[in-house]
Amino acid sequence: MSNSSLGAAAVALGVAASITGLVVVAMSLTNRRGNWKREIQWLVGAMAFAAVAAVVVMERALITRDFTVAYVAENGSSTTPALFNFATLWAALEGSILLWTMILTGFVVAVVVKFRDQHDDPMVGWALFTLFVVTTFFFMLMMGPANPFGTFDPSPGFDGPGPNPLLQNHVLMAFHPPVLYLGYVGFTVPFAFAISALITGRVGEGWLVATRRWTVMAWGFLTLGIVLGAWWSYETLGWGGYWAWDPVENASFLPWLTGTAFIHSVMVQERRGMLRVWNLSLVVATFSLTILGTFITRSGILNSVHAFVESGIGPWILTFFGLIVVVSLGLIAWRGDQLRSPGRIDSPVSREGAFLANNVLFAAFAFVVLLGTIFPLFVEAVDGRTISVGNPYFDRMTMPIGFSLLFLMAVAPVLPWRKASPGVMSQRLIGPAWFAAAVVVFSVLVGARGWAPLLAFGLGGFAAGASARQLILATRRQGWRGLVGRTNGGMIVHIGVILIAVAFAASNAYVRQDEFNLVPGQTATMSGHELTYEGSTVIEYSNRTERVARIRIDGGQVYEPAVATYPFAGQSINIPSVRSTAVDDIALSVLSFPEGDDDAVLLRSTIQPLIVWLWIGGIVIAIGTAMAVTPGTRRRPTEPVSAPLETLA
Amino acid sequence: MLRLRSSSRSDARLWSWIGAAVIGVSALLYGSLASGEPRTNAERAHSLANQFACPVCDGQSVAQSDVSVARIIRREIRTWVDEGRTTDYIRSQLVADFGEDIDYTPSASGITSLVWILPVVAGAGAVTGLFFVFRRWKLEADLEPTEEDVALVESARADRS
Repeated sequence: MSNSSLGAAAVALGVAASITGLVVVAMSLTNRRGNWKREIQWLVGAMAFAAVAAVVVMERALITRDFTVAYVAENGSSTTPALFNFATLWAALEGSILLWTMILTGFVVAVVVKFRDQHDDPMVGWALFTLFVVTTFFFMLMMGPANPFGTFDPSPGFDGPGPNPLLQNHVLMAFHPPVLYLGYVGFTVPFAFAISALITGRVGEGWLVATRRWTVMAWGFLTLGIVLGAWWSYETLGWGGYWAWDPVENASFLPWLTGTAFIHSVMVQERRGMLRVWNLSLVVATFSLTILGTFITRSGILNSVHAFVESGIGPWILTFFGLIVVVSLGLIAWRGDQLRSPGRIDSPVSREGAFLANNVLFAAFAFVVLLGTIFPLFVEAVDGRTISVGNPYFDRMTMPIGFSLLFLMAVAPVLPWRKASPGVMSQRLIGPAWFAAAVVVFSVLVGARGWAPLLAFGLGGFAAGASARQLILATRRQGWRGLVGRTNGGMIVHIGVILIAVAFAASNAYVRQDEFNLVPGQTATMSGHELTYEGSTVIEYSNRTERVARIRIDGGQVYEPAVATYPFAGQSINIPSVRSTAVDDIALSVLSFPEGDDDAVLLRSTIQPLIVWLWIGGIVIAIGTAMAVTPGTRRRPTEPVSAPLETLA
Repeated sequence: MLRLRSSSRSDARLWSWIGAAVIGVSALLYGSLASGEPRTNAERAHSLANQFACPVCDGQSVAQSDVSVARIIRREIRTWVDEGRTTDYIRSQLVADFGEDIDYTPSASGITSLVWILPVVAGAGAVTGLFFVFRRWKLEADLEPTEEDVALVESARADRS
């Protein structure tokens, strides 16, 4: 049996299992007498098996270079190195949908296992129903516009082009998309439980508690996926940057913003029973934005260097997106009365007040990014003009929001619930304030100039001081357990975010870039660094030819930026070479090589401070997320949420 | 005695806050106003190249792209910068040559001004909304319990005991 037939059979099994699962769960919910637990488990198992089998078949087709599978013929090649050949699964539209579906079925299996003793609970039942709807949609995509197992009739000796050259020259390509998808898809679980809470009318805090760890894990994967994507972009695209406010980058950032707002505001609902509508809206928004991001990435509607080729999948995803929004908003409106919050916030200067401010800022951030991303489409539709919205707009509009968020990161962790007195604030924040002052003084002493980066460093120091204070207090009290649990893990995450914010501010404010024409033996000087061109060599690889320039930096190690030419259609890409230190990065890329050996090479050099701290920040966030989902010391249910108001007055 | 000690501690903390604020703000002001290394023409040209879209690329700026058109525009920008041209001059030249969509900064007039105005309006609306919500909560908090409320609480307490 051919790979195409096997793969198509697996997809068909997935469609059948998910549709049957949908029907069985619906029957179990409407006919309460039956016990369908075993059937549902079998169907979820069959669905997951189908998705895994389809992925295995596709990998088999890629590894054996079975060009009778259209996807392999279009994206595979006999010369692609093994790792990138394996990663070709997610290098194009159909394969990425296949990976998405497999991860989704994995989450459904995890839900079924986790809630195996609660299948009779309508809350779990409706969540499963929602999950089956989503899996059915993705399996149906593979039956229709994103069929990965279409057939092809290769001529004798046929060889495919291989994946886009940019997707086969860095190891991060093997990790960035799957990690990002774990984040995107992971938000399906809290979404399913939110819909279930609305349908069952159990809109209290139960669904939040049930999905708390799922949400944090999805957020952690999404964060790591975005950081890995920025790293990949920095290491492969050769322009010396890592974030360009590109529509596809924004598409991944939008659910991160609403997801981050949610994991903060959820604590207000858990403690005070407030913000129910808001939290449900944030979960729906986060899931919807992952689908909208999928639409932006795969419909070809917006120009992006990261986008897949234009395909017919756009209308399907847009329809699904519309369905999610309409159904979710309809359910929220239907349950309006039950969603009225019983509590109120006593004072804006309190932990819950800070979370509310945090949510307003994240919502504003998401609004600015969404508006800037889709505004060119709006203007074209209304006015017929084509415009662009890029760096200057996003930098200008998001900078004040970023500063405000850093300030809140400093203040919020030290605020008590309900109400804070000036004395408490003063006592808890004086240490972080001195640390902030020290950071600004140090920055000025080492030559940093400009109000914006200095303010970012100062606020970063303030926030880092507050987070460190919380961790020190917690570890003094609880030993190593002071590093785990949601609050303490969250502080570690804050430190990671601060590292990224400070590195972002420094690298953007103090970037230096120039282009040099150098003949062999010639040296260029830039920002105190000496770059000496020592000549070039040509290296043949199985899938490409590289012309490598040898550049000696500051008389030390030689770095080798290159231009790689791939045989298919003579595609050429830059392969930058980066010298990283804790202080700064020098990214080198060759813009053009001379025809003869003695002519000048055109070299681009980008020097940016603190770049490496972006990636370290990402690792710290990953560690913090792992700590946050590790169970910490539980608060006793009898413990009051905070001191009575009169004692604080 | 206890009150005296507490008062001197809060005075010391106040002075500590003033010290931190003076040092931090002074350093910030110095760093903001003191001139660092002068900005080179290359740096200004790079900054400008980041503000324009490569006309033939998918979502890349002139600074990011390596295609020949982007390289030519980078050279043009560098020439204009070396000639001492203003940013407005460079912007108008590039828009005249390549069209409005080369400019990553949307115009602040006509329909495109909405992209600047809407976030400000939404932000102001959110702040105003929060102000009224907090005011309502405060007013609710200030309400005296009615006799009915008191009776309800008393009966609940009686039930529990």
